[in-house]
Amino acid sequence: MHVTVLTPEKTLYEGEATVVSVPGSEGNFTILDRHAPLVSALSEGQVRIKTPDGNSVTYAVERGFVEVLHNKVALLVIPKEEQQSDSDTAADS
Amino acid sequence: MANLKEIRERIKSVKSTQQITKAMKMVAAAKLRKVQDRTVQFRPYAMRLRKILRNILHQLEGDVSLELAHRRDVHKAVVVLITSNKGLCGAFNSHIIKKAQALIEERYKELLEDERLYIITIGKKGRDFFRKHYPKARIVDDYIDILEKFDFDVASSLADFLMRRFVDKTIDEVYVVYSEFKNPVVQIPHAEQFLPLSGIAEDEAEAPSTRYLADYIYEPSKEKLLRRLIPTILRNQFYRYLLDTSASEHGARMTAMDNATENANELLGELRIRYNKARQESITREILDIVSGARALEGG
Repeated sequence: MHVTVLTPEKTLYEGEATVVSVPGSEGNFTILDRHAPLVSALSEGQVRIKTPDGNSVTYAVERGFVEVLHNKVALLVIPKEEQQSDSDTAADS
Repeated sequence: MANLKEIRERIKSVKSTQQITKAMKMVAAAKLRKVQDRTVQFRPYAMRLRKILRNILHQLEGDVSLELAHRRDVHKAVVVLITSNKGLCGAFNSHIIKKAQALIEERYKELLEDERLYIITIGKKGRDFFRKHYPKARIVDDYIDILEKFDFDVASSLADFLMRRFVDKTIDEVYVVYSEFKNPVVQIPHAEQFLPLSGIAEDEAEAPSTRYLADYIYEPSKEKLLRRLIPTILRNQFYRYLLDTSASEHGARMTAMDNATENANELLGELRIRYNKARQESITREILDIVSGARALEGG
């Protein structure tokens, strides 16, 4: 599935992904390929994206929304200050 | 001869002025580009959120009462006036100020008389004008410099402040006077109602094209989502006001400085012709002197 992570000031991520975990306002949940259309609010927490090559990327967000439609995931987030985007290898995760 | 020197001095001063206007134009162009880049970055984010809002509004059964859209008698009002700190940008500021004057004249005459109209001024030009001409308005200048250097956080904190004051009923209405950026030559001043939220519900709900009608799962409920979305949309709106006005300011300055540079060129052309004429005259006079002197010698 295609994933974009947008903030008001820049695009944090744009590309394919196999797994996206998000901090939903009613609890964390994970979006896999071919998820049904969904709109959810996000609370403070970590967004984790697993890329097809096995790496994963993490972003700290303050709040936001996620929309899933036609196998496209759009994350509209306000990044948490000092947002780290450490990417660790598949072995670690 | 003194004339020649005078003209030379003037050419020099016009030239140095022209260099300044040229430099200012270039600086404004660079700043404009930066703001435009940010606008381009911001657009997809804002548009997606509006799309989500539209979907929810369309699928919502019945009315939801939204605190931020609640219209009531206006006892205290706020006008947020966005102008620039510096001049040299043509009629940019005076257009915005005129718009604000028209708004106050039309809506807030009585509030102004009773000293119940607050003007939050962003930009010194607007503040200075209203301080001088509207002694009864309550001018707030805590945010005076934010247009010079702002990010989304600044815009949202000011928007949040206004929303809080609206919800706790300290203020009953907020208008924002800003300038829409069309292109570097055209900026359109607007006075827009910020709170209570208006319009969005109506124009977003009307005629949603069918591709928006996906059957979404909403989490939490649509109503709760809506309550979280509306403040987000308003923060975005405020950020857009700042982006637009900032782009307008730099565009206006760019155009003004371009005109000034052009005028300096014309002036220089004129001065050069005058200088050459004066020079020619003085040479002719000298030759005449020499020739007539020689004649006098021969004759004698």
